[in-house]
Amino acid sequence: MNLLAYQPTWWTLNPQDNGRYGVLVGVFIAGMVLFFALSKVPHSARRPIVVGVTFLAGLFWVLRYLWPEPIALRENELPNGFVEKTGQWLQTSVPFVSGIAQVVTSFLLGLGMFSLLRVHFTKITRKQKDWQFSVLLLVCMALMIAVGYADWLQREFWIKEKITDDTTTWTNVNVVFNILFEGLLQNMDAAMFSIIAFYIFSAAYRAFRIRSMEATLLMSSALIVMLSLMGAVTSGWNGTIDNMTGSNPANLLNNLKLNELAGWLRNMVQVPALQALEFGVGLGTLAMALRLWLGLERGGVTE
Amino acid sequence: MWKLLADAQKIKREYLFLVLVVSLSATLIGLKKALPQIPDSNSMDLYAVMMTSDPNKPVFIQSDWTNSTRGESRGHFQGLVRSLMATNRKFVFYSVADPQAPQVARDAIRTINQERKKQGLREYKPWDDYLDLGLFPNAENSLNAFSNSIKSAWGGRRAKDSTGRERPVFDSPVLQGVTKIEDCGAYYVVSASNSIDIAIERLGTKVTMGGLVTGVMGPGMLPYYRSGQLKGLTIGLVGVYDLEYMMEHGINTADEAGNIVVKNRTKPEQVIPPVPEGTTFGQGATNNLALHIALTLMILAIALGNVGMIAKKKLEGGTK
Repeated sequence: MNLLAYQPTWWTLNPQDNGRYGVLVGVFIAGMVLFFALSKVPHSARRPIVVGVTFLAGLFWVLRYLWPEPIALRENELPNGFVEKTGQWLQTSVPFVSGIAQVVTSFLLGLGMFSLLRVHFTKITRKQKDWQFSVLLLVCMALMIAVGYADWLQREFWIKEKITDDTTTWTNVNVVFNILFEGLLQNMDAAMFSIIAFYIFSAAYRAFRIRSMEATLLMSSALIVMLSLMGAVTSGWNGTIDNMTGSNPANLLNNLKLNELAGWLRNMVQVPALQALEFGVGLGTLAMALRLWLGLERGGVTE
Repeated sequence: MWKLLADAQKIKREYLFLVLVVSLSATLIGLKKALPQIPDSNSMDLYAVMMTSDPNKPVFIQSDWTNSTRGESRGHFQGLVRSLMATNRKFVFYSVADPQAPQVARDAIRTINQERKKQGLREYKPWDDYLDLGLFPNAENSLNAFSNSIKSAWGGRRAKDSTGRERPVFDSPVLQGVTKIEDCGAYYVVSASNSIDIAIERLGTKVTMGGLVTGVMGPGMLPYYRSGQLKGLTIGLVGVYDLEYMMEHGINTADEAGNIVVKNRTKPEQVIPPVPEGTTFGQGATNNLALHIALTLMILAIALGNVGMIAKKKLEGGTK
């Protein structure tokens, strides 16, 4: 029997059934018990557990890619032989394994919150430097969570029939959530990133100087790329060249069109250099992945 | 004379910042000007895919952008959604990258719906016209699962139907006839992260994929476009304006005066019309003007700094 194969579950077949909340609570409690048990495992036994789980998880995906896949298997047709059976087992197990990975990834959010709370509560209780900012951060976080949940509960459960995308149907909670998320968070985020413009502008004025041949080449390239990003300039420049060539596509002067020059720089200089960097990074990632998969990497939870 | 020029490199930072703020603020107070544009060939290909994909099949949008890149990504997303709504295409959106991403996409869709309502156009209804599948954590695993079987990957997701009742998403009119990822009309990734690389790796061979990425990511995406793994690509703020410009003028399409505003010289036979209804120029047109101003200021600042440096050298060398 294929235990991992995806089957339509009671959950998906009965999405309206209130019994699912009982299941949720049950799974949550079971998860907590498992966590508690794992936290009590002696240090010497942790490494084999972590290395073993990592190896099995990696092995699944390696096999999934390398193992031959059954071709043209019709619905309700059974696979033949060990190779085809294993191939089908791997194929049908992907949703289940992906689901586990998604759940584990979701825990990162909880881990992040736990870490944040620990750091800032410590800072507040010990009255460390700038502890007032920690208070502000925690208050804002609590407010966002409370209003966010209230908004979600209203939209999904309490008065879900009444609330639509139309803002006139919104309650005070929906409005407050919108102010916090779209009105404040988004704009503060954008304001923070816009500070980069000031740094770039100031740096361009003070540091971008023609002091050597390399700097001159860099500046010439930058100038061409910047001008090519300005559609009005490009249109005017290219229009002039079209007038000079009589719009003859075979004329060599067409190569001096701004978008052609910028395209050449991008395709022949920038992209190959980036690809070379990415190739190096890719090799490093592969090496690191192998080390992690095979349990050769030291440090972290494996120590 | 040289002394005056040498002083050009001593301008206080505060004055530079003031010039930048005042110049760019002009675009925020409603100064929207549709400047002429020559769209990139990759942008033209994306627009062509958007307008020629099968209108009876839903479009899948992997919306992985958040506030930090909204200057570019929101323009991309809005341009894409406006085009889909204007051509009556149903769509599904979700994120595999960031918990904030579904919410910013929802807000962007709501804004467009309000805009359409004001224009007297049909509003797009969730469930009937589009589906919001929310977040799928872990891009690698999620996209693998989509590639394997969306029936099982999306099978547990539910959405409210038009009566407010929660139902499995495959009951929605949007996903009628869809059993696998290949059944979508087109697959677009609006991204500011490497989630687009993962999408290309996992799904690139199965769907017609288009990318709408930030300027920083653009050069890294071009090899995918040139190799045909991405059928179209818009890059950065210029890409947003490219898209809006083509939504207004089409490609190789003559306007009322008989002029062809956007010419695709490499595919002269390709005729793609402008979008039939709704807003065309939006965030791209506004921000494109700001981009022109910012780049002009930048070029001036570089020139000023260098002229000052050369003048100072002349002065120190005793040359006048």
